Amino acid sequence: MEKKVVVLPCSGIGKAYGEIGRQAVYELVEDLRPDDVTTTCLGRLMIDDPAAKALVQNKIVITIDGCTQDCARKTVESSGKKVECALRVIEAFKKNRDLKPEGILELGEPGLKLVHILAQRLNEEVDRVMRKEQ
Amino acid sequence: MSNDFMEMTYDKFIFRVENSYLYHPDECWVKRNGDLVTVGVTDFFQKTIGDVIFIELPETGTELTKGDEAGMIETIKVNVTLISPVSGTIKEVNGGLGDNPQWVNTEPYGEGWLFKMAPSDWEADKKELMEARVYFSLMEKKITKEMAKE
Amino acid sequence: MSEEIMLEEIKYDKVGIIPCNGEEICEGTLTRHASRKVLDKLRPGSTVTICLPLFIAGDKGEQNFAKIFPTITVDGCDKRCSQLSTERLSGKPSHSIIVSELLKGHGIEVPQSRRTLTEKDQVAVDVVAEEIAKKVDEILEENR
Repeated sequence: MEKKVVVLPCSGIGKAYGEIGRQAVYELVEDLRPDDVTTTCLGRLMIDDPAAKALVQNKIVITIDGCTQDCARKTVESSGKKVECALRVIEAFKKNRDLKPEGILELGEPGLKLVHILAQRLNEEVDRVMRKEQ
Repeated sequence: MSNDFMEMTYDKFIFRVENSYLYHPDECWVKRNGDLVTVGVTDFFQKTIGDVIFIELPETGTELTKGDEAGMIETIKVNVTLISPVSGTIKEVNGGLGDNPQWVNTEPYGEGWLFKMAPSDWEADKKELMEARVYFSLMEKKITKEMAKE
Repeated sequence: MSEEIMLEEIKYDKVGIIPCNGEEICEGTLTRHASRKVLDKLRPGSTVTICLPLFIAGDKGEQNFAKIFPTITVDGCDKRCSQLSTERLSGKPSHSIIVSELLKGHGIEVPQSRRTLTEKDQVAVDVVAEEIAKKVDEILEENR
């Protein structure tokens, strides 16, 4: 069955939010919704990789940015595709302020809990956008 | 470079100082507007602490002495206590920061202002604040020292 | 004095590392870990990581740094997203590493997971990080 949704994290390397978003997308794509959701490299959109552009054009796109810079959303939009839903890790963190990640890549227990919460949030958004599409 | 700001670039970071404000060594700025002063944090400060996710500010009517605690800023990295750079009474707090704490990061000298006070001894307190160019030199030294640690 | 002459006179003391962070394959994850290892442990003080998504999204700080200072791009695969983006937005990097080719040359297996790196995968991280660090040293030596 062809996957309908592509979720793109920013994977920013300067802050923990980037790793949290990335790991949440992996949890979604590999564990929660392997039949419905895929991901691809954000950088491939920048270099106009035809396969990456086609993937994004033909599917529903959700972006998950670390912070208010919104790099993933902006990159997708600059490729000519409207983002159906743009989330930010920082918004999830505001609601779970006790879950401070321990490092930028090594998130520790609290960071991994936040990953899980975010993956669930993404899962809900996938349900919503797929229902809307039907 | 804008006429409103002095800028220093270090690596990939650009640090700005608003020309018309006065500065306290604990990284806050003060701007006199009529009978009130507006207080905020510096660009150097917001870059050091990271993305602001929560701010606690004093209530209007609170009387503060210079150096008193005046709230708290929380980021993913740290919780930082704010201090009042002057003595006086809180007249207004920036209510927009509740939903938009990121203004402290994106517009530290504008939309990200923290609170407004009616100063009780402005002439005395003003003497302990720095003009922009003096603060800029201090900031340069701090940045060089901070970055050399990394 | 022209800008070109001014740039030649700059003695570079920092090198920008630009990993691709590719999400699709394990090598993308390796670029992140290796780059942070260089920044945090191997060459702190002489390296800066450039966040590729921020760089692409137009952050002036990231783009200007890459225009002025030498850069090393670290790509997971031969699509060379980091190298091509850097060339497009700031200029040719001083050096480009492709992780898949580097590991093949060392006879090291690619990690199995893009999510987590095992202890065994640390060997791959170390090889990439050491290569980046070696190139940082060469670039800074050339510029002394």
